[in-house]
Amino acid sequence: MPQVPGERAEFIDGLRAFVPMSMSILPFGLVCGAAASNAGLTAGQALAMSWVIFAGSAQIASTQLFAGGAPLLVILATATIINLRFLMYGASLSRHFGGLSRRWQAAIAYLLTDQAFALTILRRSTSPRQPHLHWFYLGLAGATWVCWQLATIAGILLGSLVPASWSLDFIVPLTFIAMLVPLLTGRAMVLAAVTGGSAAVLLVLPLQLNLIVAALLGVAAGVAAEKLGSDR
Amino acid sequence: MIIAIGLITFFLRFAPLALLARLELAGWLQQALRFVPAAVMAAIIAPPLFFAAGAPNIVPDPPRIAAAAVAALIAWRTRSTLSTVVLGMLALWALQALLG
Repeated sequence: MPQVPGERAEFIDGLRAFVPMSMSILPFGLVCGAAASNAGLTAGQALAMSWVIFAGSAQIASTQLFAGGAPLLVILATATIINLRFLMYGASLSRHFGGLSRRWQAAIAYLLTDQAFALTILRRSTSPRQPHLHWFYLGLAGATWVCWQLATIAGILLGSLVPASWSLDFIVPLTFIAMLVPLLTGRAMVLAAVTGGSAAVLLVLPLQLNLIVAALLGVAAGVAAEKLGSDR
Repeated sequence: MIIAIGLITFFLRFAPLALLARLELAGWLQQALRFVPAAVMAAIIAPPLFFAAGAPNIVPDPPRIAAAAVAALIAWRTRSTLSTVVLGMLALWALQALLG
């Protein structure tokens, strides 16, 4: 390995970083594809979701709302709330990618996911002087994109073949549990999750507004707990 | 609908990257945004444990609740999505067979 690995080496390192992550991308993509086709979207629409939106949580939630007959505005607002976290990721990444061309920034933005963000920040902290971080990101996030599209297609094809008695819809909460549990560091974060979860169950709101209101209540609970935390 | 969500999502991803290169998000906003993923995910996880598909009333589904608890434990110990999904499904099938 050269002292300062070139762009190609960084790109390959990004691909390598993706390999263990595929274990979480694959089942989630499968579920997204299956859920979309079971909700009555055509195969083309289900596929379009994955390459136009490319954000699993928002795809699942909007699919479920669509199947439940929610109004368009509620679906859009819910997807917006779920994807608000990208604002935070983008702001953090702008420190490293702010100087790149608009074309690079557009590609980075389109490919942004929870996993790509987390691993790129980790990479940044382990090799802070690396000048080709964007190539690492491209390898990592590009592989994620390809994997996501293939998993969605498989989900669309397989989704309608599996009988409902197998309860495979339970994979949706399972993948979210796998993502949520590692986030629960600290009392405020736990409270945000507990509040969001309970509110989603207990609130009886029209127009399927539950998810939005529950998420906002959870965020408020987390912020409040953090503010009060120093007193306890 | 799909295109609108796609545009919103791209905007949320692109705006801070392109425009915030020198600006910082307000402190309170950063603090609040940190809680969004946990709150949203919990709000997605919980309802299918307590509502049968399309049912208006709360009907707890004991096998699903117990299997979700098992899965949370596995997620906590292994940090592996694959283990959580596979063992969580096995737990659900076992519990469904036991509890009817």
